[in-house]
Amino acid sequence: MEVKVNEQTRKKSEEDKHISLVINGNQYSLEVGYGSYQVKPSDTLAYTLRETLGLTGTKVSCDDGACGSCTVLMSSKAVPSCMILTVECAGKDITTIEGLGDPKTGTLDPLQQSFVDHTAFQCGFCTPGMIMSAKALLNENPHPTEEEIKEALSGNFCRCISHYQVLEAVLAASEKDGGDND
Amino acid sequence: MRTFTHINAHTVNEACELLGQYRGKARLNAGGTDLLAMLKGDIWPEYPEAVINVKTIPGLDSITENDNVLKIGALALLSDVAKSPTIKEKCGVLAKAALSVGSPLIRNVATIGGNLCQAPRCWYYRYPRRLGGPLPCLRKGTGPCLAVKGDNRYHAILEGKGCFAVCTSDIAVALAALDAKITIAGPKGERSISVVDFFQPLGNTLKIDEMIKDFQIPATMLSMEQRFLKFTLRKPIDFAIVSVAASIGLNNGVCTDARIILGAVAPMPFRAKAAEEKIVGQPISDNVAAEAAEKALANAKPLSMNAYKVEIAKTLVRRAIKGSTAGLGE
Repeated sequence: MEVKVNEQTRKKSEEDKHISLVINGNQYSLEVGYGSYQVKPSDTLAYTLRETLGLTGTKVSCDDGACGSCTVLMSSKAVPSCMILTVECAGKDITTIEGLGDPKTGTLDPLQQSFVDHTAFQCGFCTPGMIMSAKALLNENPHPTEEEIKEALSGNFCRCISHYQVLEAVLAASEKDGGDND
Repeated sequence: MRTFTHINAHTVNEACELLGQYRGKARLNAGGTDLLAMLKGDIWPEYPEAVINVKTIPGLDSITENDNVLKIGALALLSDVAKSPTIKEKCGVLAKAALSVGSPLIRNVATIGGNLCQAPRCWYYRYPRRLGGPLPCLRKGTGPCLAVKGDNRYHAILEGKGCFAVCTSDIAVALAALDAKITIAGPKGERSISVVDFFQPLGNTLKIDEMIKDFQIPATMLSMEQRFLKFTLRKPIDFAIVSVAASIGLNNGVCTDARIILGAVAPMPFRAKAAEEKIVGQPISDNVAAEAAEKALANAKPLSMNAYKVEIAKTLVRRAIKGSTAGLGE
């Protein structure tokens, strides 16, 4: 049964037909609608990143906010992109795993390199989320304690038990990063 | 997720007006960590026509303090509530409760108002459509509570009448221990209600065109000893099996005033008045705390699989009372 909503409301809902946001430093203007190239009002940010923009580095596992695979940075905070509507991201600055390295030279972010050096993954499905959560932590707190790392990564699950190596990788990256300040 | 009309509201009045226009067929979206789960599972008997974004309403996320009251906007993020120096210093019970919710990722988007309005975690209530749901149950308006004869290990041990799903909001438990008032905005203006009265056996007192605007904590509560304890199976991303929040006024080790609230044991936050009466006027000791804990759970009526929750609740009440004399820490 259709609810009768007045004309003004109908217009309002169509007002925001474009969503402008910055992803990995690039400005995007996304059209809201129901076409295959458009963003539906019900699309999550994780869906838009992967299916509309092809940024498949961000993974979706539980799609319920409980596993951390879909972690991205929004205004430099780590957030679960599967629990955020794309239409509510207007004006936001988003960084995904693709935004960490240098796309021209292929150089990895020091944190990514540290994950490689410490073999801090097995199947690798949780890794982009782990790295984005760790990145948010290091941006805010360049020299975290082991406890602080555990707390920051407590929303990122790994079924292959790579956590021990992840801890080492993040600790090593934090030491390298600020070595000259100590 | 099935689609819906999406509208950004820019004022509280506009949001209430839109809710009224949709006559119960619209849902407000704040953090979205609970709403999107409900929509993805297609759990409500009727899928909402519209989702109204309230994050576009400016000023609803502030935390301010004056002489009589500490005011927290409904859109304050749980991570901000947990980190706020004012809240950490003056109402540690709320900061601790906020820090205990979900994971750092969830707390970065979830709001304090949304935490109060979350749908119950009962697995019969939340049975998703893709698996053959939604299951008709008392909470949804048809049929009996399925937990009574089913798997009820996480359900109510107190005050269950009809629906046995528990209120899992940790924030509600902490705010109730602080005697907080909720400001509710509606088409006819604002009204104020205490957190304990906000909840009803089958939900809350919000009418279809009302929304929570802010929370007000009276300054008199802020000087009391506060404790928050939560028992979960995992530390992060888990809901309380039992939680306890307590505000206890002390004068030379003698209890002068107390509010003890239990979470996840009843369909609403449960105020353990019998335990409060037991300790007021008494010096806090192991014996007094243990007796108060017995009193708090005296009326417990566990279901077939959840008698263990009674023992956990008693232990948490005892520790919260005893802990109030221990200075900081537990």
